[in-house]
Amino acid sequence: MNALSIDIEVNEAHLRQQFEDCSDIVFRSFKLSDGAMLLLVYLDGLTHVQSVEDNILRPLLFNGLPQGEKPVPSLAERMKREWLPLANVQTVDSSDALVQHILRGSLGLLVNGEAAALIAQIPGFEERSIQEPKKEATLRGSKEGFVENLRTNTSLLRRRIIHEDLKMESFTIGSYTQTEVVLAYVKGLADENVLSEVRKKLGQIDMKGIIDSAYLEEWLEGSSYSIFSQIQNTERPDIVAASLLEGKVTLIANGSPFALILPITFWSGLQSADDYFERFVFVILTRAVRYAMTFISFALPAIYVALSTFHPEMVPANLMISIATARENSPFPTVIEVFIMMFIFDALQEAGVHLPNQLGPVGSIIGALVIGQAAVEAGIISTPIIIVISLTGIAAFTIPRYSATMPFRLTRYMILFITGFLGFVGFAYGIIFLLIHLVMLESFGTPFFRPVAPFDGRRIKDIFIRYPFWIKNGRNKKGGQQ
Amino acid sequence: MKRFFMLLCVLLMVTPCVSGCSDFVEPNQLAFVIGTAVDQVQDGSIEVSLQVVIPSQLQKGNSTNSESFIVISAKGRDVFEASQNIQRKIPRRLMTSHRILIAIGESYFQKNELNLLFDKLARDPSNTLRDVVILIKGGRAKDFLRLKHPMEYVTSLAASKEMNINGLQDFTSRQLVIDSLSQGTRPLVPVFKVEHKTVSSQKKSEGIPVFAGFAVLNKKLKPVGFLNDTECAGASWLAGKGMFQGITMPWKNGKGMLSFRLSRLDRSIRSVRGQDPKQVVLAIKAQAYLLENTASLDMTDMNTVIDVQKYMNAYIRKDLQATVNKVQKSGSDVFGIGEYLHRKHPIWWKRQRDEWDANFKTVQVTVKSDIQLRSVGVIGGELK
Repeated sequence: MNALSIDIEVNEAHLRQQFEDCSDIVFRSFKLSDGAMLLLVYLDGLTHVQSVEDNILRPLLFNGLPQGEKPVPSLAERMKREWLPLANVQTVDSSDALVQHILRGSLGLLVNGEAAALIAQIPGFEERSIQEPKKEATLRGSKEGFVENLRTNTSLLRRRIIHEDLKMESFTIGSYTQTEVVLAYVKGLADENVLSEVRKKLGQIDMKGIIDSAYLEEWLEGSSYSIFSQIQNTERPDIVAASLLEGKVTLIANGSPFALILPITFWSGLQSADDYFERFVFVILTRAVRYAMTFISFALPAIYVALSTFHPEMVPANLMISIATARENSPFPTVIEVFIMMFIFDALQEAGVHLPNQLGPVGSIIGALVIGQAAVEAGIISTPIIIVISLTGIAAFTIPRYSATMPFRLTRYMILFITGFLGFVGFAYGIIFLLIHLVMLESFGTPFFRPVAPFDGRRIKDIFIRYPFWIKNGRNKKGGQQ
Repeated sequence: MKRFFMLLCVLLMVTPCVSGCSDFVEPNQLAFVIGTAVDQVQDGSIEVSLQVVIPSQLQKGNSTNSESFIVISAKGRDVFEASQNIQRKIPRRLMTSHRILIAIGESYFQKNELNLLFDKLARDPSNTLRDVVILIKGGRAKDFLRLKHPMEYVTSLAASKEMNINGLQDFTSRQLVIDSLSQGTRPLVPVFKVEHKTVSSQKKSEGIPVFAGFAVLNKKLKPVGFLNDTECAGASWLAGKGMFQGITMPWKNGKGMLSFRLSRLDRSIRSVRGQDPKQVVLAIKAQAYLLENTASLDMTDMNTVIDVQKYMNAYIRKDLQATVNKVQKSGSDVFGIGEYLHRKHPIWWKRQRDEWDANFKTVQVTVKSDIQLRSVGVIGGELK
């Protein structure tokens, strides 16, 4: 804490020293008619210059002091009270605080003879406008997505939950980035234990910087080595608002368009916002498809290997002969072939993410022609395996959240590995271990596999088929208790 | 706890590697057996022939002239030994789980009781028992498997499809085992013969398998009688097994014919007045649709319709009664009347069951029919 000096020259020298080699700092000093020395300090690009000129420079320089008022002790006090037609104005008396405010885009105004500085928040930087979230597009529902600016994001939530119990606690994390993180929850709905755990963990974070909310995710998670993420991330304010109303807690970090939601369960990764926007009868079908495909996405290659090489008697005669016909000249064992294809599929997927847009078609041509056609015609890869792997790949994309597909893409390899040795026995091992892990996992005190295990009859209404809202709330439509 | 769990994981990961990594068998290391034939040979042992598909011949683009299957035979004292002898002759492991058909040659079933053969079938867990069992009349079963069918790639498939399409679904070896183990039912087994007819204009046909009726087996699974292909439809209906799909009958005055399609076939057994076990009624039910009428009958007339329905019932009843009488003479209760009486009169049954084949001959079986004429066709009257 260095207190500001009365002498403006000293203050200026001190500030200039602090902001040495910062080319974007602006110092503007001027003298009023009554001899007062003033100094404006701001960072170019973060402060709205037009507003500074209109609201501070012009009235001071051209209009002079307003008359008819009784004298006010200090110039700074006078300016704060009367001259600055700005909403958010405050006074600081330490030079550190002044620097911090200037770094966040505020305008500092120093007056000769005052040991205090006036801070005016006139932010004016370029930012992305609110757009439709690309990663979590829905057919129906809000088209708004979070942006990088924290205040815009909190305003998106405030506009959805108009209640004073929506609390937004602020934390500053990162010794260099000084990232503002907001912990949002609805008081009375959110679990106090979860809140205190999150507060405690946020306080323990010791990093130079929080670049994205993903950094927070790793610090907060209870089981860091699990393949399942215990925190959901979303770009959609409507999902966050719905989660807040379910008693969940949200973290929004400045600079990241992804809000974190916790605690979550296994099933929240398999649910899409559209499930709640479409008619519930139809959702029964889409959910059934999604769950079946989720199973396929990690189990089908293993099932194929087990059936065709360990238990061919379980396959109907004609199908087995078709498979045998297709695999007659295959040089590799089925397991190896499936491994190769899965590897190639994941390689194509990874390449697809990094390919520049202009090269996109090249990737698909090489993928389709070389792997799809040439490999089969050359007899290196058999057709049933292409079908199995493509179906598996497609199946993973039916999972609405991208980050929820990761564990299944990983499990696919593990289960295939053990099935390749032991057949269906190995498959059973794999599934049992997966289930053991899922049942043991917790997300901030919530069992990860709830409501299936531990069973919760009330909540399970929202897992396999989505009941209409009026049944879920235990009321019939006419308002009486069921 | 955590350390124990980690250790367990590691151990389980190690288990597969040390337990023999080459446990899997690729499909191209397997010989898929589609059909099995059993024949008697001179010295008293049996000859087993296996029909094995050649997958590389089924691939698209291969010339159709080459055969898509091979038949390998070997002799042995029982089925297992013969199969072992076959295994020595081929480079791939025999896979009998996908077998469609078991054919038994005439030379075998005339001399031996089939229950010896089916011991292996029912005892060996690798048999799925979904295959169809047929008898081959007038020839060796091995030659039957060797036939090349003009439509299907193996004869076994052709025979089983032929039975399926004609409504004879319930003749798997599983059903045979069930029937032979129950005391009050005797199995019916389909009989096939090879018909030498030219069906292809391209080349001379070697013959195609044709369904030729049923064999009625006794308790020891030895054939005691044969039903020809007109009787067998009725017999399978009365046995509650198959579909009786159509019937053609001459009209009363002998001029013209009537043809019906029958559906919703049903059969029930009951004893008369519920008291006398020796008097049994076989009641059959069906719905008939008139499909062809060359008897110049005006079916728009309600009286004619009633007349036709009465006549059809009487005709079918007479037909089936004749079949029942023929079966009864052989003494093999293929209809499951014994099973019904077992449940209805358990105490009486205990005295009967040991000589049921003889006692069955003395039971008075009456056929009753309730066939509804549902439709007279699109044109009610006849075309003028």
